[in-house]
Amino acid sequence: MSLMRQIAWLVLGVVLAALVGAVGLSTLSARQLMQTQLQLKNADNAQSLALALSQQGGDGELIKLLVSAQYDTGAYEFVRWRGLNGETLFERVGAARAGQSPAWFRSLVPIEAPAGVAQLSSGWNAIGSVELKSHSSYAHDALWLASRRLLAWLLIVGIAAAVLAWGGLRRIRRPLDAAVAQAEGVLAGSYGQVAEPRVPELQRLTRAMNAMVQRVRELFEAQAGQLLVLREQVHHDPLTGVSTRKHFLAELDAALQRDDGPTVAGLVLVRLRDLGGLNARLGRGAVDDVLLTVVTALQAYPESVAGCRVGRLNGGDFALWLPAEGVAAETAHALSDALRASLPAFGPGVQVALGAIELPRERPSPVWLGEADAALARAEHLSESRGGFVVEVVADPSVGREQGEGLWRSQLQEAVTQECGRLVEFPVRDRTGRLVHLECPLQLQLEGGYLPAASWLPFAARARMTAAVDLFAVGLALKAIAADGQARCINVAPASLADASFLPQLRELLSQWPQAARSLLLDLAEAAATEHFERLLELGLQLRPLGVKLGLEHAGAGLAQVERLYQAGLDYVKLDASVLLGVAGEAGRAAFVRGMVIMLRSLALKVYGEGVIDEMDAQALWDCELDGLTGPWVTAALG
Amino acid sequence: MLALPLLAAAYDAVRVLEAAAERGPRVVEQAQALVQQIERSGTQEDLQRLKDINDFFNRRLAFRDDAVTWGLPDYWASPLESLDKRAGDCEDYAIAKYFSLAAAGVPTVRLRMVYVRARMQGQSLAHMVLAYYAQPGAEPLILDNLRTEVLPASQRADLTPVFSFNTEGLWQGVGQVTAGDPLARLSLWRELVAKVRAEGFL
Repeated sequence: MSLMRQIAWLVLGVVLAALVGAVGLSTLSARQLMQTQLQLKNADNAQSLALALSQQGGDGELIKLLVSAQYDTGAYEFVRWRGLNGETLFERVGAARAGQSPAWFRSLVPIEAPAGVAQLSSGWNAIGSVELKSHSSYAHDALWLASRRLLAWLLIVGIAAAVLAWGGLRRIRRPLDAAVAQAEGVLAGSYGQVAEPRVPELQRLTRAMNAMVQRVRELFEAQAGQLLVLREQVHHDPLTGVSTRKHFLAELDAALQRDDGPTVAGLVLVRLRDLGGLNARLGRGAVDDVLLTVVTALQAYPESVAGCRVGRLNGGDFALWLPAEGVAAETAHALSDALRASLPAFGPGVQVALGAIELPRERPSPVWLGEADAALARAEHLSESRGGFVVEVVADPSVGREQGEGLWRSQLQEAVTQECGRLVEFPVRDRTGRLVHLECPLQLQLEGGYLPAASWLPFAARARMTAAVDLFAVGLALKAIAADGQARCINVAPASLADASFLPQLRELLSQWPQAARSLLLDLAEAAATEHFERLLELGLQLRPLGVKLGLEHAGAGLAQVERLYQAGLDYVKLDASVLLGVAGEAGRAAFVRGMVIMLRSLALKVYGEGVIDEMDAQALWDCELDGLTGPWVTAALG
Repeated sequence: MLALPLLAAAYDAVRVLEAAAERGPRVVEQAQALVQQIERSGTQEDLQRLKDINDFFNRRLAFRDDAVTWGLPDYWASPLESLDKRAGDCEDYAIAKYFSLAAAGVPTVRLRMVYVRARMQGQSLAHMVLAYYAQPGAEPLILDNLRTEVLPASQRADLTPVFSFNTEGLWQGVGQVTAGDPLARLSLWRELVAKVRAEGFL
């Protein structure tokens, strides 16, 4: 029984006991009083009657008359004159008076007053005794009335007490519930604070909990801060602050692999020409300023567009990754214009060449880099003749499907409603090779073949159909879980979170498969935590009771910037391949990963690694104590 | 409910002596004499009992007004209280005799306390005596302190009976008496009977 219910029962019991006890005791003592008074009345009336009868000189008729008079004018059960040997000489007896009190009450609290007896004499002669008994029904009536009145009063008082107690309990209950919710939140990894209640005991409890939560937050923030510093050191070029070559290539690989990017993306290479010559002519310090100016121009993109990446590939070579279609050429020209405006200030001979390409994202990264280098080389070649700032744009001829959005929308709709789709399964395994769960990206049957998310997700997002698609995927996963009991993980697009109808529908769907729901995991992109934090909280609150686990995928550098990660109540985090690639070869990257793991573990989160390609990296990641890995190496080596 | 001592309705010599001991050694001496007298009377005829008990108290108690003895206009004393003071007025004699005779085995139905009007030297006087009825309808014998011999009522022309009472029917239907109940002792007589019972008589 819950604490509140126990207290409520206790209060009810005490009130009832007080009520019954008070009425019972009062009735019993009133009965005792009445019984004694009635007994005395019997005795005294007998004495005074005897006194009168003793003065009649033994005249039987007079005595009978007086007995009758006494009986008629009083409330007596009987008045009796007994002879010397106890025989009845005369008596007046009436039927018992009914009274107003019920029979059960009379038998429950009987009032038994014995008859009063007094001796009669006539001169020296004894002439027997007189005996009389009063009706007790009057006493019963009075007792009945008094008991009922008392009961009514006590009932009113009792009800008032119960109402007050109920109000009091509610007052206690609210902060208590808040404290319990906070404690449960902490257990679930959500470190929220609650307002302190006014009840002193609960106030202390809440204060302690809040302090604990605060300490966890501070610890977390300190760790996050350290990680940021470490990340700066490991992933970023010390001079310009953009990604190092190694890190940028890892980021590029990850961006090409992820399934929620655009179909076609762009890459821009920027080269500060003749770096050696500039160093000699302008001096190292001035060249550093030139480099910083170039970087400033590039940094404007990742700062304003999510998913953009900037890297310094070599001394004077920079790369800009654009996760969008049809913007590469425009961006390259804009960059060129910006640099043309700012660089001449450093003196003559500062030249920049730009190469921009646009390719389908399914092309491997060497193709991307090769094409971009070729474009850049052509630009440099051109600048030999023209000098200054040259832009060369290459666009893949196969780029661009000539299909309208409406067509895509109807095809997607059809695929979802007719359930033309399947889940592909990629295992996530722990270091012993045990299958932790299956990552199940959805493939939809479009244009006759099963297409991965990468090819239709951007259209789905634009057509605001991600919620329907995600629900479809969840439904497939639940069916598969019900069939084989294997835990499965489904990606949920951030756009779905923003859809108000998504959560109720998801709950509805999950409630149809209560058993399977316990083995379901939902992946959300980092963007869900940064852009839809309140939605994420709501999702956690609603789905956690159903046993569904929530986690972030593609978590990388941005994770440290997720405010209130300690409050999100997640179950796991999947680290992005861009953070993990190449950990075996570089101690700094491994240290960063290890730091991430320690930080996330302190929030009771499980940590998985994505996109692991080779065994060296896998080994290094096991050394970083990750809970599980996924990626081509896992599928191939352990599948 | 209050836990009150239940008093057995019977004469108890040990309790009489205990009650006397609480009042002091002088009373113990008197009480021992009374207990011995009751014991002797237990084996005798009623007539002898009447004479012995009548003499016992007429000899031992001096007639003195309640106002002098107790500082009260009227006080009904128990036998031990009277023996303590070595004095009493008319009802104290009658009371002491009544309960001593009852203790000696005389059925209380034969005994009655009687209010009488006594004429002494031409004056009327409210008085109380003890009457003994050998049979229910018979002429009673009178135990008095004005005339110390036990005489039949017919020889006591100086006395006019007014009203009589005894302990019969006093506890009818109750069977046992609670000594501490203040409401049960509202009259002098009831209060006295309760007191006497507590002292072990009756």
